[in-house]
Amino acid sequence: MSQQHTITALVQNEAGTINRLVSMFRRRGVSLASFNAGDCEQEGYSRLTLLVDGDESMLHQTLKQLVKLIDVVEVEDLAADHGIQRELALIRVDPNSSEVEHVKNLASEFEAKIPKETATSVFVEFTGNPKDIEKLIGALKPYNVAEVVRTGLVAMRTDSV
Amino acid sequence: MRSGAKIVMEALVREGIDTIFGYPGGVVLPLYDEMLNWPQVKHVLVRHEQCAAHMADGYARATNNVGVCLATSGPGATNLVTGIANAMMDSIPMVAITGNVNTWAIGKDAFQETDIQGITIPITKHNYLVTNVDDLPGVLAEAFYLANTGRKGPVLVDIPKDVFTAMTDKPFPETVTRRGYEIPGAPAQEQVDEVARLIAEANKPVIIAGQGVLASGSMDLLRELAEKAHIPVINSLLGLGSFPRNHELSLGMMGMHGEATGTLAVQDADLVMGVGIRFDDRLTGDTNTFAKNAKIVHFDLDPSEVGKTVTPVAWVIGDLKLGLEMLVPMVEPKRHDEWVAQVKGWQEAYPLVVPEGKFLSRTVLRALNEHTKGQAIVSTDVGQHQMWTAQFYKVMKPYHFISSGGLGTMGFGFPSAMGAKFAKPDSEVWCVVGDGGFQMTLQELQTAVEYGVKVNICLLNNGYLGMVRQWQELFFDNRYSSVQMGSPDYGKLADAYGVKFFRCTRVEDLDETLRQAREFDGPTLCEFVVEMEENVYPMVPAGKDNSTVIMDPDLPKQPAGATK
Ligand SMILES: Cc1ncc(C[n+]2csc(CCOP(=O)(O)OP(=O)(O)O)c2C)c(N)n1
Ligand SMILES: [Mg+2]
Repeated sequence: MSQQHTITALVQNEAGTINRLVSMFRRRGVSLASFNAGDCEQEGYSRLTLLVDGDESMLHQTLKQLVKLIDVVEVEDLAADHGIQRELALIRVDPNSSEVEHVKNLASEFEAKIPKETATSVFVEFTGNPKDIEKLIGALKPYNVAEVVRTGLVAMRTDSV
Repeated sequence: MRSGAKIVMEALVREGIDTIFGYPGGVVLPLYDEMLNWPQVKHVLVRHEQCAAHMADGYARATNNVGVCLATSGPGATNLVTGIANAMMDSIPMVAITGNVNTWAIGKDAFQETDIQGITIPITKHNYLVTNVDDLPGVLAEAFYLANTGRKGPVLVDIPKDVFTAMTDKPFPETVTRRGYEIPGAPAQEQVDEVARLIAEANKPVIIAGQGVLASGSMDLLRELAEKAHIPVINSLLGLGSFPRNHELSLGMMGMHGEATGTLAVQDADLVMGVGIRFDDRLTGDTNTFAKNAKIVHFDLDPSEVGKTVTPVAWVIGDLKLGLEMLVPMVEPKRHDEWVAQVKGWQEAYPLVVPEGKFLSRTVLRALNEHTKGQAIVSTDVGQHQMWTAQFYKVMKPYHFISSGGLGTMGFGFPSAMGAKFAKPDSEVWCVVGDGGFQMTLQELQTAVEYGVKVNICLLNNGYLGMVRQWQELFFDNRYSSVQMGSPDYGKLADAYGVKFFRCTRVEDLDETLRQAREFDGPTLCEFVVEMEENVYPMVPAGKDNSTVIMDPDLPKQPAGATK
């Protein structure tokens, strides 16, 4: 059965590390729904959060192939809804002037921020899990969503630390 | 302080490398200059960088140690690619060193710049671009360490020209450790216990022994296990040499063109133990029907191989040698006389056949086996002759059968044989090659002559890309498309290179040709003009059930249920 898995990995930063990771996914035909890499608490290392589509056996094979890469130090499979899983979205909405208040109200309902407003656009900043982001975008649709930028998922486990 | 170039040479000496294979060019000039100060490292100047990689590969396979090749930037580096991919597929320890343009020119499409690191990411175990000379000692030490530990494989180190000339006093690390990289140790005791239990239960066990046995040096343990528990041993192509072929329990190779006995035994067995193999598709055929009556057990040091193509009921993950050391004492001595008799029955009923009255590739290879008694190092190219060599050359010693398995690289046979001879100058070395593959890398004849490399080339000239022709005959209704292959006059060619030449066209001259070639002091080219349309049997068509193995039509008796 195909489903999404959140994988986190600690990798050593070297020339070519990201290339090598992405190459492995492409070569083995595993589709990456989301890929996020950033500095972490250890100097010279990055933490990655990957969202992978596939069935159980594909997941197992992917985890093993990941661990095998020399730059990869550790890999974890976070079951869906496990730990804290967050994504940040920036959404530009271009409402009619009569609808600006609606957009602002919606944003505050979702506890989203409005870092900037111009004569034509309301910029909405929202952090949440991907489902809530989808919900917010859906709610804003009628007011003319002009542009969406998302960071991709970041995840951290909260148990057995 | 010393230069990056000197550090490279120091690294080779530290790693005990006495021979490297390479080809110079602009950006590696500082290294070639430094090399003149290091007579203890022999540099073999090849005629094409692909062959430098294949020679390093042959050197590695013959010694079970790292082979080193070297090329300049751009086209030099890209010419190595086939050889690196070949080593990757077969898990061969190799360090490939390439030069690159100056660090400040990287990314500017400088003359002969190529992103060899990017290109080789999917075909190396790991690779490096070294932009600071201070990193070089550590990187080189790590490269050798990674190449030759765990699941072995090729590692590429790309070094810009100015890094070769930059100075540092950074020492080599005493020991190499890398966070997140662990060499697999002993397997878990429970895993071994479970396998011991399955062996005790089994009535019809077989072992399929692969290259992992050779890589880990577990040949004696394999033999002990087989003899103690009375288990027939089959080989994968690359496993040949891990178990003596004259042993009463040896069934030779199985798979697409393996001997029928091994292929049928696996289909009938109740326990199939894959030892250091990766259950590749040429061996398993259709994985749904593979070993359909058996419990499958998998020994491997790479966890990603377990469950990749077939689903085992038990596995032993870890160092193979340590795993077998744990297992062998736990196994109760046992006899499977009935099962072994059944297997021997297949061997008698479905032997390899060599029809008389014709001059066949098989006729030649049978004779080569008789003359060398399985004691020579034989390196094959890819095609029909490769499969016949695997069948008819009864290799008796480890590291004496060399072949391109995973990638199936035509052009590999001759340079890899030369690499083996450089590594083992006192061993008799034969290359078995087809007329197609030989024409891919024959320019190395010059290298053989210059370095006096006594390799005997057994060139089986059937005038065809035989293996492809066979598929067109069997699966494309005899429609031959671009498989007829003309050849130069090999006698003149040999003369031009100054290589001793023999041409043999009939059975009557076979023994004398082989005898003279073996005796001759220097490289020989022996052209055997063989029957053009000879097919390799048995054959399991790609992806088909191994039980439907097509037997040699020249066999009098066909098994029940076999397709003809
Ligand atoms: C580099 C490369 N190109 C193409 C192939 C496909 N191929 C596999 S076997 C074969 C024919 C080999 O012919 P030859 O060397 O004459 O050997 P024979 O089969 O006749 O013994 C070919 C073309 C290959 N394996 N490698
Ligand atoms: Mg041929």
